[in-house]
This record gives sequence, structure tokens and C-alpha cells, in this order.
Amino acid sequence: MTDFLYNYLHVYLFVALFMLFCGIVGVVYRRTLIGMLVSLELIMNGAGLNLVALNRFVSPENAYGTAFTLIIMGIAAAEAAVALGIIILIFRKYRHIEGGDLREMRD
Amino acid sequence: MNFAEIIFLFIIAVTMGGAATAVLAGSVVYAIMGLVVTMFGVAALYVYLNSPFVALMQILIYVGAVTVLIAFAVMLVGPLYRRPKEWTTAGKFGAALGVALVSLLLFVRFVTETFPRAGAPSFEMTTKDIGRLFFDDLVLPFELISLLIVVAILGAIMLALFARGNK
Repeated sequence: MTDFLYNYLHVYLFVALFMLFCGIVGVVYRRTLIGMLVSLELIMNGAGLNLVALNRFVSPENAYGTAFTLIIMGIAAAEAAVALGIIILIFRKYRHIEGGDLREMRD
Repeated sequence: MNFAEIIFLFIIAVTMGGAATAVLAGSVVYAIMGLVVTMFGVAALYVYLNSPFVALMQILIYVGAVTVLIAFAVMLVGPLYRRPKEWTTAGKFGAALGVALVSLLLFVRFVTETFPRAGAPSFEMTTKDIGRLFFDDLVLPFELISLLIVVAILGAIMLALFARGNK
């Protein structure tokens, strides 16, 4: 029963690791702020997958990892709303959203 | 290899392909499509992890709310056809790949040495258990989340209002 592929912890951990890898590449490599935000969402998704997998395989007697993943989802929604407000503000002021050209966030 | 394993491998391939698309696509719209595909794949992985409630919340919040917000931002920040490609210089790509590869190697080493390659114990986590945990042990974080969301909504509204006032 336990030798199916989806019953191994490492498969899930490596998928989450690949998502973290893609997210790090994207945050450094993208030129617009929206691309960086997409990569950040990728990283947070990988973290949530990691937490649920560890909860299911390492400590199955409580649900703290699952609850923490739900908390991460709420924080990600709030973070996306604030980040998009800031992005639209930057676009109104500078008429572009390229991260490399931003030097200051005053006024 | 049974049928569930074949579907599992397909889901993993779709998730990884979506993640690579979200990073390497030349246009922001394709990147968002890749992000949606990745989130659906992660939701399917949650189903394989015996957590259907988290899977549905993943679809509801990430696919339903966050990507729609990002799509609205893409629509609000001006025409797409005048935008240059999403890629920057090759040196930056090399640096990003180097940083990510070093961290990937470190984490692979950490993962393979820390966690035992064990089979699955029995895991039955119902929505009732999660709700009881939230309203029993984790009341303070739960209330703090609602406070955080209220503050974020107010902050977004204030950002929009101040931007209009300055113009």
C-alpha cells in the first residue's frame, strides 16, 4: 500500500523545490514588477505545498501545517492587493513599471 | 504503475511546466496563464495529500482572486504591445540561474539528509478538525488575519485616493 509514488514525501518536496527555484529565477530575471509578483506567488505556493506535505507525512496527528497554509493564502491575498495598489501608483507616476529604473519610493 | 500514479506524474509535469512558463514566458499574459496552470496543479497535489479542503481553498483564493487581481493590474498599467520583452540581459539570467542552482543544491542536500524516505502513515484530516483547530488553538492568528485583510483593503483604497488627489 505504501509503495505508490504519491505516498512518498520527497516527490512533493521536490515539486515545491522546483517552484522555489523558478520563483528565485523569476524575481531576479524579470524586468517588470508584475513579473516579479507572479514569481513571488510561485514561491508562496511552493511553501504551502511544502507545509501540507510535511504535515501529512511527518506529523499526521494534528493539522497545524494545513492551518498555516490557509493563513498563508489569506496573507497572499492581502499582499497581492497592496502590491497591485503600489504598482498602479508607480505606473501613474512614472508611466512604466520596470523595476530596474525605480530609485526611490518617496512621494 | 497503476492509473493513479500515471495521473500523478501527469499532474507533476503540468505543475512544473506551468512554473517554467510563468518564469520564462516573454509576455506577462502568458506568465499569468502559467501561474494559473501551476496553481491548479498544486490544488491537485493537495487532493493527493488527502486535503481536499485546502485544494478547494487554493482554487478559490489563488485562481479566483489573486490571478484575477494580477490580470486587472496588467489591464490597468497600459497597452501591452508597446511593452518590450519581459527578459533582461543574459548576464542577469546567468546570475539568477547561478543563485537558484546553488540554493537548489543546498536544499536538495538538506531534504535528502533530513527527512527519512518513509511511506505514508494514516492521515485523516477533515474540515471539522481544521475548523476546530482554528477556533480552538489558533484563535489569535485567525483574528489577526482578518485584521490584516481589513488593513490591506484600507491601504489599497488610501493608495488609490492619494494618487487621485495628487493629480
